[in-house]
Amino acid sequence: MASFREFFFGKKSAEDAKSRLQFVLIHDRAEISPGLFEEIRNDIIMAISNRLNIDPSYISINMDEEAGERRLLVDVPLKNARRPTATRSTADTRR
Amino acid sequence: MDSVVITITSGKGGVGKTTTTANIGTALALMGKKVVIADADIGLRNLDIVLGLENRIVYDSVDFVEGRCKLRQALIRDKRAGELYLLPAAQTRDKTAINPQQMIAMINELRDEFHYILIDSPAGIEQGFQVAVAPADRVLVVTNPEVSSVRDADRVIGLSEALEKGPAMLIINRINSARVRKKDMLSVEDITEILGSQVIGVVPEDEEILSSTNRGQPVVLNSKGSAAQAYRDIARRIVGENVPLTMPSNGSFWQKLFGRA
Ligand SMILES: Nc1ncnc2c1ncn2[C@@H]1O[C@H](COP(=O)(O)OP(=O)(O)O)[C@@H](O)[C@H]1O
Ligand SMILES: [Mg+2]
Repeated sequence: MASFREFFFGKKSAEDAKSRLQFVLIHDRAEISPGLFEEIRNDIIMAISNRLNIDPSYISINMDEEAGERRLLVDVPLKNARRPTATRSTADTRR
Repeated sequence: MDSVVITITSGKGGVGKTTTTANIGTALALMGKKVVIADADIGLRNLDIVLGLENRIVYDSVDFVEGRCKLRQALIRDKRAGELYLLPAAQTRDKTAINPQQMIAMINELRDEFHYILIDSPAGIEQGFQVAVAPADRVLVVTNPEVSSVRDADRVIGLSEALEKGPAMLIINRINSARVRKKDMLSVEDITEILGSQVIGVVPEDEEILSSTNRGQPVVLNSKGSAAQAYRDIARRIVGENVPLTMPSNGSFWQKLFGRA
């Protein structure tokens, strides 16, 4: 149950500190600044959308670190390119 | 002699490197070890005043490196703690006065005679840090439970790994257990998880540190307080004793009444 304080002021500050540190350290360790990361993200979106019918707003690109291994995770839901007007609901893979 | 050279560093300034070095060095000497604590913060030396030895400095490490004295002459004995010696830094020079090779040669000269040589690193990751870490067998990184010092600690851990100093160990300083309990301060577990390093000690925020520094008497000399105990525990872990890591308390009402005779 959320405490009175949490209800009005949100998460406890230590939780914010932890998640913010985890985010920033992934970038620090990979030597990829959040700004450069945004540029890479835009490049990837450009490269893919030039050739495939995608909705850029559904692309997610994240950096992840597990057991000292860093990876770039790119998730690109595809629109059905051949039948853009299809009425079948399976054509739309967006969630 | 089987000597161990330990550099205490942090990246960020003001997290407690000098206080930690002074107390761990004194605690090791009180355990009967022969110890040198070397100040590598050239231009901003403080170990001398924290230890209360500021009036006894004649020569410093730069005098030795530049050939004006023997290394023995630069060492100041602290008689309160058996075989404890301070190797002071120069106050009127800068970080370029000693290079990594000279530092290694100087510290190597001490290895024959001492069990432990502790080096108090300057803040930052530039030349001063590089010189302080160059002769180290082990690196201890001091951090506070606070975002900027944890972030800087991560940098320094990475850099000392790149310098092949093995995995650095953490000292978490100035923790306040009441605030951790309220989840208003990063916990020891949070910090270990974020940094992925092993913790060698947890030192509470303790009012005694200020008064002992005012007097030039490291707390381990005569206090039963929780910071003093935490520093003694770190010294025992350094010599290889198995001392379980306990969360220090921050001096409850009852402790203040009875615990600090
Ligand atoms: N555990 C502690 N509790 C309270 N004050 C502390 C503690 N550790 C350090 N301090 C204080 O923090 C300040 C910075 O400590 P210092 O050892 O000089 O840091 P650094 O060498 O990393 O710059 C000093 O005023 C010192 O007295
Ligand atoms: Mg200092």
